[in-house]
Amino acid sequence: MVVLKHVKRDSACFISHIDMLRHVSRILRRAGIPVKFSQGFNPHALVFFSPPLAVGVSSDSEYLAIDTDMPKDEVMERYNRAVPYTISAEKAFACEKNPNLQAKIIAADYIFDVAFAPLDFSGGFEIEYTKKGETVKENVSDRIINAFDVDGKLCMRLANGNSSLRPDRILGELNRRLGSDLRVTDVKKIAQYVDDSGLTVAVDEFLTESSK
Amino acid sequence: MDIKEKFERILSEVEKPARYCGGEWNTPDVKKPHRADMCFCFPELYEIGMSNLGVQILYDIVNKDDDFVAERCYAPGLDLAAKLKENNIPLLSLETRKPLKDFAVLGFSIGFELLYTNVLYMLDLAGIPFYASQRGEEYPILLAGGPCTVNPEPFADFFDVIVCGEGEEADINLLRAVADGKDKGLSKAEILQLVNGMEGIYVPSLHKDGETVKKAIVRDFENASFPSRPLVPNIEAVHDRAVVELYRGCGSGCRFCQAGFWYRPIRERSAQRCARLGMDMINSAGFGEMSLCSLSTGDYTHLEELENILVPFCDEKRVNLALPSLRISSFSSDMVRQSRRSSLTFAPEAGTQRLRNVINKNVTDEEIDNLAGAFEAGYDSIKLYFMLGLPTETDEDIAGIAEICKRLKGLYYLKRHKRGLNISVSCAVFIPKPCTPFQWEAQISFEEMLRRQSYLRGLLREIKGVTFSWHGAETSVLEAALARGDRRQSAVIERAYRLGARFDAWTEQFKWELWTQAFADCGLSVDDYIRERGTDEALPWDFIDTGVSKKYLLKERALGYKEITTKNCREGCNACGANKFGKCTIY
Repeated sequence: MVVLKHVKRDSACFISHIDMLRHVSRILRRAGIPVKFSQGFNPHALVFFSPPLAVGVSSDSEYLAIDTDMPKDEVMERYNRAVPYTISAEKAFACEKNPNLQAKIIAADYIFDVAFAPLDFSGGFEIEYTKKGETVKENVSDRIINAFDVDGKLCMRLANGNSSLRPDRILGELNRRLGSDLRVTDVKKIAQYVDDSGLTVAVDEFLTESSK
Repeated sequence: MDIKEKFERILSEVEKPARYCGGEWNTPDVKKPHRADMCFCFPELYEIGMSNLGVQILYDIVNKDDDFVAERCYAPGLDLAAKLKENNIPLLSLETRKPLKDFAVLGFSIGFELLYTNVLYMLDLAGIPFYASQRGEEYPILLAGGPCTVNPEPFADFFDVIVCGEGEEADINLLRAVADGKDKGLSKAEILQLVNGMEGIYVPSLHKDGETVKKAIVRDFENASFPSRPLVPNIEAVHDRAVVELYRGCGSGCRFCQAGFWYRPIRERSAQRCARLGMDMINSAGFGEMSLCSLSTGDYTHLEELENILVPFCDEKRVNLALPSLRISSFSSDMVRQSRRSSLTFAPEAGTQRLRNVINKNVTDEEIDNLAGAFEAGYDSIKLYFMLGLPTETDEDIAGIAEICKRLKGLYYLKRHKRGLNISVSCAVFIPKPCTPFQWEAQISFEEMLRRQSYLRGLLREIKGVTFSWHGAETSVLEAALARGDRRQSAVIERAYRLGARFDAWTEQFKWELWTQAFADCGLSVDDYIRERGTDEALPWDFIDTGVSKKYLLKERALGYKEITTKNCREGCNACGANKFGKCTIY
């Protein structure tokens, strides 16, 4: 099992998760990376992803687990020859078995293209968005882990994975509070975290540990 | 903020922004130094346009040429169109986001009559006047190509040049002439003078009565350029797979089929070359599916040889090899056994042997019985395609469709008993098309379409496991009216567009009342276009030389009325006349 950490930048931020799944099977085929297949009537490639990224958000920290016997460096080299720079891989980890990031990931850091300013969540953080044509209003402060300053920009750690908060959905409230004009394309995911026996650990660290 | 930045800002506000991003895998270098540039414009959404093999072929050819580059532009969705207007952004190319106005040549691919208003939709968004006569030197040369050039008259006034037939060679010749003309400082009118008379080139503004335009064809099809590094769509396209074109033309001679006559003579590619192309496409693009494309794939001489190469390759690469549009008579259960599909698709087109003889669909009841082999091989689902309103059709013929379904169910239960057979019956309405033996036929009336559809629906409802779908009567009438239209229809198309018609091929967008009003506003009637044409009448498309003589078409029509079939060209030449473009190459 090899896990690739890849980016999703520029126009690739508009490729939806479902389309990414399809792209990956093609990428592996044209890259000549031998991937194992599931058994059964409709065999599918044993490829696993980190949780979906909202359309329009870019990322420095997406993960792709591939069930293959090929050495990790060769996998990354072949992968990078078969993709545009917009989704290139920057690190490869070898793992015994599927690290199951989809289930383990609990949080992600997002950087917003706006100057950092302190935000007060004590009175809650009420957001409004449309889902399947209906307006949803909810208080999401329980899914905002914290907000901090990264190089003068606003960075927020939000719940991700099974209980998740999409960064695009808080933009309206952020803009109201900060007087900004942030759009979905002004958001970038920079790191993801797993729950490792009760500890919040960065995925890179987790994968490095588990590959030892 | 420049246009590109403005455009990028609005992308996050529209549905499926990846449609408008470009940067697909295998995109060629469109920034190389070049003598002339063009933009292929496809008057439908990205997902549809990316599935078009013709555009992929031509795009590849132009970009392979050292002297030229080609970009693409697909019709934007209505949401983006509104944003473009609101923000004063002209329609831009996909690759470099360059305004369409700034290209030397814009090439529209027109493959369906119901796309005509979308051509105007794109021109409108690009800020380009609709009529050739209204466009000065500052505008690109507008070119039209694609299957609808069989009868280009309805849209002739909008274009400077129309390539009738296959564009592989004609497009490059045209670009070369444009580049040469620009080097010499020639005006647009002078360039048009130069290209007028080249094979396949029709310049509506210079055309004189009595002149003919010979359709353009690729003579050396074996070695003709083919995109072995196809673009990989950003988002799921309608046909999202590697497509290998086995041959062009068709020997079946179905009397309603425009493509079957238009793309004559038959030109086959060797199995070796087809296999090479297919494998290169998979290796370069990584598609999980490959399909073999032609007008009647089962008739391809070297199908077995090709399958012997491709099946092991596709198995190894985990690629699903699909075989679409099989005619029943070319069906062999061996072929089906080797492919892994859950559904079979066949097109008997008519319910009785009598009517199939009229239309020369040489499929017999015995051959339909062959499908038993497929059931034995494990198929539980079958799609059947028919047409309603064919010349001489009676209710008995329509009832025959239901009979076929019953017969198939019987065969199925002889072989298998488990799940029950799913039959999906899809009925189009017959549309008399130019360049076919039925080009003079009337289309049945609107009321009659509805009556026959509901009659068939009633019969099929009684058979368990059959689902029935049919084409809208209104769109079928419009398609027929435009297919055999004339120059006067440019005004109708423009009027319909101004009234709000666009994306007419989409059921939810199609507004029949806009079209009836447009025809009326222009003093024309739809009925006049769908009526039977006299054999002595001058037809708007008569000036195009397709090789197949009018005499031959008339003879075929007469045979149809006598219910006499004509043999497949593969069994011997029927002397249709297309061999003046070169002999059929069936190895």
